Amino acid sequence: MWGINTGQAQVTEREAGDKLKISIASGKGGTGKTSVAVGIARSIEYCQFLDYDVEAPNASIFLKPDIKNVEKVTMRQPYFLTETGADFSKCVEFCRYNAVAYVRGKVVFFPELCHGCGGCLLVGPPGAVKERDIEVGKIIRGRASPGIDFIMGDLNPGSLRTVTVQAKLDEYIDEKQTVIIDCPPGTSCPMVASVKNSDFCILVTEPTPFGLNDLEISAEVLRKLGIPHGVIINRDGIGDDSVERFCDKNNIKILEKIPNDINIAKAYSDGITMPEYNKKWIKRFMAVIDLIEKENK
Amino acid sequence: MKQISIISGKGGTGKTTITSSFIKLAGDQVSVDCDVDAANLHIMLSPVIKESNDFIGGEAARVTGECIQCGKCEEACRFMAISDSETDIKIDPIKCEGCGVCEEICPVDAIELFSEKQGTYYISETKYGPMVHAKLDPGSENSGLIVSRIREIAEDIAVNNNKKAILIDGAPGIGCPVISSLNGVDYALIVTEPTLSGISDFKKAHELTKFFNIETFACINKSDINEKNSRIISDYCRDNDLTLLGKIPYDEMVPEALSRKQFIVDNPKSPAAKKIIEFWDKLKKILYS
Repeated sequence: MWGINTGQAQVTEREAGDKLKISIASGKGGTGKTSVAVGIARSIEYCQFLDYDVEAPNASIFLKPDIKNVEKVTMRQPYFLTETGADFSKCVEFCRYNAVAYVRGKVVFFPELCHGCGGCLLVGPPGAVKERDIEVGKIIRGRASPGIDFIMGDLNPGSLRTVTVQAKLDEYIDEKQTVIIDCPPGTSCPMVASVKNSDFCILVTEPTPFGLNDLEISAEVLRKLGIPHGVIINRDGIGDDSVERFCDKNNIKILEKIPNDINIAKAYSDGITMPEYNKKWIKRFMAVIDLIEKENK
Repeated sequence: MKQISIISGKGGTGKTTITSSFIKLAGDQVSVDCDVDAANLHIMLSPVIKESNDFIGGEAARVTGECIQCGKCEEACRFMAISDSETDIKIDPIKCEGCGVCEEICPVDAIELFSEKQGTYYISETKYGPMVHAKLDPGSENSGLIVSRIREIAEDIAVNNNKKAILIDGAPGIGCPVISSLNGVDYALIVTEPTLSGISDFKKAHELTKFFNIETFACINKSDINEKNSRIISDYCRDNDLTLLGKIPYDEMVPEALSRKQFIVDNPKSPAAKKIIEFWDKLKKILYS
């Protein structure tokens, strides 16, 4: 059961096994994904929060979790025992990422291109290719007030292994809690890897030609994946009504509109969530959750 | 010929807004939009597409033969893309990275790799010179490969047409497409904002440009939204050998102009435009020297 405090002593109860996994995404960056995700988490109070934006994780700035556990995420990476004089040409031939090459008769390894598939170990000269663990990022876990089970992935700069860190996050998803997933921007593999586990995706957009363009692409991704979705318009008041017309035409529900308010932007700049800035947002985010529950029935 | 990549770490700090104004001011460059999964530069530049090509990305595995359910592929796959290989083998196209290990290990040759179209790339002409851009098919991977491809084309165009510079609008984050948009450039510009999130992502983006040893500039957009955070950023720049081009104040005109698809520098007297013009004057000297 999760108790919800809307500030008006209204309590909604859900049956066990009936918890929602909600992802918050957007094509365009900086539209307010994290603001909405942390705003919802603070409003429902008891949930699991996963920051899947491992290249630029920011939710911890707002939720200020008490970090209890930091775990390295590693990948296997080969090294080549060149002193054995073995012939590594099979590895060079096999590697689809061009991470191994022969340059002037010497085997050269480009770690930044390696996906860690283990192919060179499989096809290479026996005993002459070894592997070691390389750190690509971290999983950071803790508790955020009042009852948020907080987990974030953090990619090491220089590593290409966004999806390796995200795959590690997958292992922590707790079906017994309501799960809030803060996604990376874009519409390619890291976004898909983040939304794929969710029952519903909130697309946060802004009412500008840029917001619309990226909303169209991300809505198409969700449609293809078969994930129900709705839209929150942020910075409502700027731009035009083209986002609303798009949602109307495509039967996408507009769940909420957040006004263009310099004071919300200022609070955000200091790491203050919307429910902390103004309590009315608790009620409004709870209404969003209610809408999603209705949509998901 | 010099190349500069405009990145940010955090999304929505103003990369495309600033890049598009630089393009309008520059005049003698090739423009590249490397934010291939949420490309926006074309909205500002209204390109006329001269050539469009399919982008065939990396491969993905598929079961094509008679599977004997030995389970070897599932065990060997490092990306956990294969499941139920002892009953009814499933390969998850989202997780598959096309490495070919399953194909290699399969004792009955039941798995094959296929490459698929993952996007389209365009060579276009704009009022402000040639532009190379792309559209990744929704949900595709290999955004790094398509970025590398459009940058190669931009380099060819620049060399053949004697262009002095390539201006690259980067993607948010610090992952594959960003790394590909930084590979081999002469300079990077990080556009940040004075929010705690902006600062955190700015530092990660700077770690990345340091990792690749690229001379890096910074600018702070909407700087007066939080003066304290703006000072933190300028102090960081001073202490870390990062050239701060300057600060762009919050300007109501900016979202309005963008909604009408107008360049910020179209209103040269607005506070934001003045700053962007000033930044370009500084960068121009460095790029065109």
